[in-house]
Amino acid sequence: MINYILILPAIILIGIVFGYPIIRYFWLSFHASSVLTNLDVINNNGANWLRVIGDGRFWQDTIQTFRFASVSVSLELIIAMAIALLLNQKFRARGVVRALTLLPWALPTTIMALGWRWIFNTPYGPIEKIALLMGFESINILSNPNLAWMATVIADIWKTTPFITLILLAGLQTIPNDLYEALKLEGGKSFDSFIRITVPLLRPYLLISVLFRLAQAFGVFDLIQVMTGGGPAGSTESLGLYAYLNAMRFLDFGYSATIIFFSFIILSSFCLLSWFLIRKSKLILSSK
Amino acid sequence: MKRQNILIIILLLWSLGPLLWQIYTSFSTTESIIRPFETEGNRWTIDHYIQVLNADPPFWRYLFNSFIVGITSTFLTLLLAIPASYVIGNSNSKFAKSFKILLLTASLFPYVLLFLSLLEVARDFGLGNNLFALCIPYSALSMPLAVLLLSAAFKDLPNDLEEAARIEGLNLWQRLRYVLMPLITPAISSTAIIIFIFSWNEYPIALTWITKSNLITLPVAIARIAGSSIYSVPYGAYAAATVLGAIPLILIVLLFQRQIVSGLTQGAIKG
Repeated sequence: MINYILILPAIILIGIVFGYPIIRYFWLSFHASSVLTNLDVINNNGANWLRVIGDGRFWQDTIQTFRFASVSVSLELIIAMAIALLLNQKFRARGVVRALTLLPWALPTTIMALGWRWIFNTPYGPIEKIALLMGFESINILSNPNLAWMATVIADIWKTTPFITLILLAGLQTIPNDLYEALKLEGGKSFDSFIRITVPLLRPYLLISVLFRLAQAFGVFDLIQVMTGGGPAGSTESLGLYAYLNAMRFLDFGYSATIIFFSFIILSSFCLLSWFLIRKSKLILSSK
Repeated sequence: MKRQNILIIILLLWSLGPLLWQIYTSFSTTESIIRPFETEGNRWTIDHYIQVLNADPPFWRYLFNSFIVGITSTFLTLLLAIPASYVIGNSNSKFAKSFKILLLTASLFPYVLLFLSLLEVARDFGLGNNLFALCIPYSALSMPLAVLLLSAAFKDLPNDLEEAARIEGLNLWQRLRYVLMPLITPAISSTAIIIFIFSWNEYPIALTWITKSNLITLPVAIARIAGSSIYSVPYGAYAAATVLGAIPLILIVLLFQRQIVSGLTQGAIKG
């Protein structure tokens, strides 16, 4: 009995902050609530859901969100692995270096997103200036639909790689050195030991970082809003931003709720799917 | 130079580059900001800092607001998470397990999608423009990490210990306060620092819940500087504000590196 009393306050708090909004979004997704209805909530018998299925902008944003999430998370994994291997070696002032590489994680996303916008600024930012000095034409990164999304990926990689690095670093420290010694005695090269020891033993750590980061990257919002506002030509608009625009700019709360709830369904099934796939591949590998 | 050293320098340039660029911009005169690679007379200035520090309300006010939000959120989270983690760490009941799954699902939900609905909650309960009210969403958002970290720490304590304290006649509160909590101090401090940094940095909820300009938190205040002119972003003042706002975070990261690292890694792995 006492156990329930001890957990209850935490459950109530989570209920208010997570439970209520999710239920409210679900309920609101079957209602019209916009400027047209004077913000009154009127049942519209699933019209929002029909609309979202036929909404080209929604699907374009879904594709963009997947592109953003998959490209950033896979690049982050590769870069974080390289950094973790480097930071796992012995060198002077290792503690300070590790702390400094953590800094991007600790700085506020919104503020540094604006910092990145300044770096990619045309014509005053350093990237543009360097490109001109090297004799290239003006790149105009944030106004080019083919490049702007890559700029947001770079900023996201900068911001969140430290988190994955930490997890992989923790994983590396659990691998006993004897394994590497043994492989060396058998004549294995260092790349062999990476493929045959490091990657398989880091698998659970890789799995957990992929799951956490996919979920976060899928909900990307403030980074995009600050850096590009979803432009140019909607090329960087994420689902989170589209839902936000529907509520705050078009004042269409019913449709906004539908987008949020639908993206949540897509995200959960995607997370479940990747979880199963990675688990399955683990079984295959371990049966070898 | 050794290859390793070169790699470390590249890594540091990458990690610190954007911040270094902000520092460089913040000390440049408005004329030289738009010509970053040209050397000329009168290149350097501290005017942007003077401007930011003399603004009304003064800059330290935002630091103070963020500090209040950070402290109250950390306190509320620990207050609720420690008892809950004690139960989860010590019990294998279905109830405790389903609570853990609930937390994991919650931690996967992209929280920015919550803030539209949370804004309604704030309106209905009159929580707008109240710094202390921000600790409600922040504690809930921090709860998954806090409970995972703390319950793992409780689980690692030997059972005999609490049994001995029980035989000594200590009640639950006394056992927690004098026997168990002192032993999990490392986990508590890791949790506290990560929650503090999260609450200090949070933007969408702080932006929508607080509108009075003397109550806004640091990230919102800095973003406001950027939006203060409709023609162009005043990058000099913005960079100066970013640098000033980053100093406390740099200090926290350097001082509490060990706690942050163990907190983040344990949280991800034990979760």
